[in-house]
Amino acid sequence: MIATSNRTVVDELALRHLDAAYNLGRWLLGSEQDAADAVHDAYLRAARASDTYAGGNARAWWLAIVRNCCLARLSLRNKDKHNVAIDANPAAAERWLPRAEAEEIEERLDDSRRSQRLDVHLRNLPVTYREVLILREIEELSYREIADVLETPIGTVMSRLARGRALLQKALTEDGSMEIPHGL
Amino acid sequence: MDCKTASDLLPLYFDGELDRATSREFEAHLDECAACRDALVALDSLRTALRSETARYGAPASLRARVEQSAAAPPVARTQRTRTHTRWLAMAASWVLAFVAGGLTLGLWHQGSAGASDAAQLNRDLFASHWRALAATSPIDVVSTDQHTVKPWFAGKVAMAPAVHDFADQGYALMGGRIDYVGSERVPVLVYRHGKHLIDVFVLPEMASSSTRDVVTAQGYVLEAATLGGQRAMIVSDMDRVELTRFRDLLSAQVPEN
Repeated sequence: MIATSNRTVVDELALRHLDAAYNLGRWLLGSEQDAADAVHDAYLRAARASDTYAGGNARAWWLAIVRNCCLARLSLRNKDKHNVAIDANPAAAERWLPRAEAEEIEERLDDSRRSQRLDVHLRNLPVTYREVLILREIEELSYREIADVLETPIGTVMSRLARGRALLQKALTEDGSMEIPHGL
Repeated sequence: MDCKTASDLLPLYFDGELDRATSREFEAHLDECAACRDALVALDSLRTALRSETARYGAPASLRARVEQSAAAPPVARTQRTRTHTRWLAMAASWVLAFVAGGLTLGLWHQGSAGASDAAQLNRDLFASHWRALAATSPIDVVSTDQHTVKPWFAGKVAMAPAVHDFADQGYALMGGRIDYVGSERVPVLVYRHGKHLIDVFVLPEMASSSTRDVVTAQGYVLEAATLGGQRAMIVSDMDRVELTRFRDLLSAQVPEN
């Protein structure tokens, strides 16, 4: 296959799965701007590498590139961790702030939390579990596709998925039990 | 089907990764086991909640425009292209060197203490891959009893196509092959059948750590190291020891191909 036609294939592929790519980026990076930049980076990288695309599941190939671009950004960001907005991660805030301040934030977050409880729990999950849940539950990829995106054995996909689900279920039940006690 | 097996298969069933026959067995178990039904309901309500309450962020129009614009941009000029090509080649060459050097160092290093836990991880990967293949619709990507079909199929997909031999005469029939991940490596897997037993032969890259010479067992499955035409391999199956050893010797007896 000649390079140009492969390039068209990549263009079409990236645009068709742009929502999936952006959603993954948005959940990995937490910021609209970063996610958009990472996906654009990924597109450029994919277009450059179009000659080397060897067939196989195209969506998984594209999402693997997107994920690598996101992880690269994430590790860059972790180098200057101080810039992370503390409200973006209430659980971390609780850990680092003095007790009183943390409680205040907790209260302020309370209203929004009720509607976005699951969102918050998912966001607080370690990246390893968050990404596998997004790929399986939201993007509906098969185990094999996820394994190709993460470049890991399927067994690892299965165990991460199970662990991620268990963590999320646990967080939700603990949350539920927290809402009852005060009145009684 | 007992509850232990069923709870292992539960996520696979829920995610639609079980073949039809196993699904039916699993459903039969569901009919009589309330605990497994509850677990399934819990998984389903988590999924429903995730899909309804969690945002699936759509790509903003500005991003779509950016990508479309880059896509419309004319491809790089011819001369520039060749230059980037050579640069890439040089880079690729240096990566290969780095890999070889790294591989050597890793190899030495693995003889040390880290070897043990890496080998354990490798064994877990191999067992998981075998079980998952058993649960899947088909454990084989290329179905063929002809070694001259299987070997070329691998050639385009992994760095080094393994030596493929059929031992149907000796009772170990070649069924085909597939590609699987071990660690983050793509490795070829040869699939054989002996009676009702399915045998996976994982052909490992030189770098993968496994100093295991012993036989490892897990839940009735056995893993044994072997050599295959000079390459290192791992056999996973539920055959008994005698049959396994006979198969290993058959594999190892093959002369390396060029």
